[in-house]
Amino acid sequence: MRAIFAGPEYAPRTEMGLFEKLMHLSWGLVLLVCLIAGAGVLLLYSAGGGNWDPWAAKHAVRFGIGFGAMILVALVDLRTLLRLAYPLYALVLLLLVGVEIMGQLGKGAQRWIDLGFFQLQPSELMKLTLVLALARYFHGLPPEQVVRPLSLIPPLVLILLPVALVLLQPNLGTALLLLLASAMLFWGGGVPGWVFASAIALGIAAVPVGWEFLHDYQRQRVLTFLNPEADPLNTGYNIMQSKIAFGSGGLFGKGFLGGTQSQLAFLPEKHTDFIFVVLAEEFGLLGALILLGLYALVIASGFRIALASRSQFGRLLALGITANLFLYVAVNIAMITGLIPVVGIPLPLVSYGGTAMLTLLIGIGLLLCVAVHQDIRLSKSGLAEW
Amino acid sequence: MSSFDPELPLDIPLSTAPRQRRAANTRPVPHAILARAQIRLVTLGAMFSAAMLIVALRLVDATLLQTPTAAQELAGPQEVGAVLVARADITDRNGEVLATSLPTQSLYADPAKLLDPVAAARALVQALPDLDYEDVLDKLASARRFVWVKRNLTPEEVYRVNALGQPGLEFLTEQTRIYPAGGSTVHVVGTTDVDNKGQGGVERGLNAQLASGGAPIQLSVDLRLQHLVEREITKAMKDFNAIGGSGLVMDLRNGELLAAVSLPDYEPAAIGKAPEDARFNRFALGSYELGSVMKIITSAAGLESGKMSLTTFYDASEPIRYGRFTINDFHPERRALSVPEIFTHSSNIGAARMALAMGIDFQKEFFCKLGLCGPLKLELPEVGTAQIPAKWSEISAMTISFGHGLSVTPLHMLRATAATLTGQLVQPTLVKHPEGYVPSFPHVVSDKVVGQMRRLMRANAVVGSGKSANIPGYFVGGKTGTAEKISGKRYNTNARLSSFIAAFPMHDPRYLIMVMVDEPKPNASSGGYATGGTVAAPVVGRIIAQMGPLYAIAPAAVDDPLIRQSLALEIRSRRDAIETY
Repeated sequence: MRAIFAGPEYAPRTEMGLFEKLMHLSWGLVLLVCLIAGAGVLLLYSAGGGNWDPWAAKHAVRFGIGFGAMILVALVDLRTLLRLAYPLYALVLLLLVGVEIMGQLGKGAQRWIDLGFFQLQPSELMKLTLVLALARYFHGLPPEQVVRPLSLIPPLVLILLPVALVLLQPNLGTALLLLLASAMLFWGGGVPGWVFASAIALGIAAVPVGWEFLHDYQRQRVLTFLNPEADPLNTGYNIMQSKIAFGSGGLFGKGFLGGTQSQLAFLPEKHTDFIFVVLAEEFGLLGALILLGLYALVIASGFRIALASRSQFGRLLALGITANLFLYVAVNIAMITGLIPVVGIPLPLVSYGGTAMLTLLIGIGLLLCVAVHQDIRLSKSGLAEW
Repeated sequence: MSSFDPELPLDIPLSTAPRQRRAANTRPVPHAILARAQIRLVTLGAMFSAAMLIVALRLVDATLLQTPTAAQELAGPQEVGAVLVARADITDRNGEVLATSLPTQSLYADPAKLLDPVAAARALVQALPDLDYEDVLDKLASARRFVWVKRNLTPEEVYRVNALGQPGLEFLTEQTRIYPAGGSTVHVVGTTDVDNKGQGGVERGLNAQLASGGAPIQLSVDLRLQHLVEREITKAMKDFNAIGGSGLVMDLRNGELLAAVSLPDYEPAAIGKAPEDARFNRFALGSYELGSVMKIITSAAGLESGKMSLTTFYDASEPIRYGRFTINDFHPERRALSVPEIFTHSSNIGAARMALAMGIDFQKEFFCKLGLCGPLKLELPEVGTAQIPAKWSEISAMTISFGHGLSVTPLHMLRATAATLTGQLVQPTLVKHPEGYVPSFPHVVSDKVVGQMRRLMRANAVVGSGKSANIPGYFVGGKTGTAEKISGKRYNTNARLSSFIAAFPMHDPRYLIMVMVDEPKPNASSGGYATGGTVAAPVVGRIIAQMGPLYAIAPAAVDDPLIRQSLALEIRSRRDAIETY
């Protein structure tokens, strides 16, 4: 083949043409993403009372734009990503500091940057750049050093800086997601098991102390989770309504646009975090399991891509993105079914929201990029060939 | 914990099945590293799978196994304690303050004590610039010992007057009435004059009770619903460029009015500047020829008379000519129509024939029994009376059957309709009944006819003009009316009243809603019409859709067999029969 530097027995690949990259794109994964986003448009059409306005049409347009971004990211050379990992991380960290200062000065809770056509939330972008930076770090770390406690300090700093900033916002949900995804990357990066065991033990010990630091509304959410019936009109309202809608849907659902809970004004936030409830009510358990199955296939593809990648960077990048996706899906559905307390986590590609959609599609672009470059070999620094 | 071999590179595919095409790229695998990294990924994958499985099981649990009945029994809002002031407060049914009194200072003068009236008047006008110098001088120079200068001053104004240091200027503590809900409830609550006497609304109607102080008077009105009804009617008035509107929501069990809206309204504090039209109460004072909604009463009367059933046919193939009058249909069918068809097609000819069939005397007696011939009782001074024809003649009987020649207030219409749906002459009230009190009302319509009327009203929301109010799960039933208004001595085809009266849920009516829009003009979205079906019915639909969550009314299954049975109606025509429920 054209630009492949292919030796007779073992020869690293260095360059790929555009056509070849497109050939190696995981089109199955692309199809899955389109199916899920299509379900999102359908559900937002329903949540809007059978109207393209105000959500469904915008969602479709945003998906179109994000889709282009996804394909573009997929075609970027993985070595470029390796080189840009730290600078991108630093840039987003600066943005986080920026909105924090802006928020302090304005005495408001504005944690986004207004770009005119949509509002950019740096905390969402950090989910990607943190994965990039950690993957970059473990890629460059000589394997024997991964077991040394000292070598864990730089990545811990990489994690704790954004987590602290996000906690200050205050956005406990996003901070926890950043921590969990990072822990999974540590696991995949080969960090010894005792580190995780002690971290978990420390975490449990810190629960009573952490409770003191929670905001009133966050404590209320935890208490409400423990007993939603205690206050069905106020804090327990959302979760009660969502449970009623699930029961109302049953096995086969009430039919498209036929959900009483979701079509009437019972269910708040039905277009964002609680969109899955509309699906469960109108298409029943069957529809809900089909969408869950689609997500499971996407996550499985992520694992396949991680397993097939030749470089530690690619493997960890794919793992980190997949972990993030998994956390979104699992936390969102667990939340709306009352398994865990209410945290503001949207359902990937289905919930209405600009930054989350763009972040997710760029993330999947990164995943595709790893797949395209699965056989490309990377040096430790990414600056030169092996 | 075994360590990695530092000599071995990490860039090795972990997949056991790399792309076939590139098999040549593989090389011997360093087992220690591979095994460990692979185990790590596999354990993570297993954790993910387990979590997804738990979520899936939870979905099964939430959709199939949980019964949310207890959750739907939601408690009512907390009631708020009273604040004791001179004139009693007025609150809504949930304790939201609608009228309260604040102590204020009023300025008066004792001219005999003034050193120099001219200097005092100058200084006063400087301190209180909204006063007129000539006027103040007249008062200060008078021979009386007490003249009001200004009532209800703000604290800052009091300070400025005190700062003048003029002897002879004194303050008296008075009460000022404050209306936190503003114009939204002004037609219900009313206003007081500067001496704290009720001038309208409940303030006037219950003045004696309010003036004696004590616990607040709790109205039946729900401020949340009041706002909601006001918002939806305002929207319709804007969309259809109407001059006014009114809306009533009644609890059919006890007659409590949960919302009573008359638009336009005005700020109680600015009553002096309010135009007469805004001060006019359109739900209780204004009497209107309401048009086809009156066919509700005509149908009930006909069925009660025993002269007809739901399968009786009347000839509507030709307009009825009577002297100089011609009775025609808006959408002529030009054939014989059954009683349900007359209702759902809103046939004037059919209704007129029903009136003749039941007999003029029976019709008059029935209408009067339902309170449509006389005045109305309510806790307001602004209540209108029915205007009946001087002689209830044959032609009057025919026009009254479709709502012309008889003027009633929307409240009259609401009460009469309530009677056809519950059998009882429910007495509307604006004051909340004590907790647990169930009033009893005279029985005026037989149970059999009540059942038939519920079916007719429901059918009209399924196949007739009330479709846009048919909110799924709430089994709405209702009748539209579009009446031409009289200007001078003739009917004006461009000035209409569009109204819709609906109850839900129709198998056991709990709430009765009437919305009337005054002089709507057709717009593009209504297909060139400004009828009850295109203007008023959608407003009622939006109100009902929002009342559901507000009052935690669980929607019923749209195919509930018991409900279907109780509302089933076969609408026969000479050509075919359709079934509604």
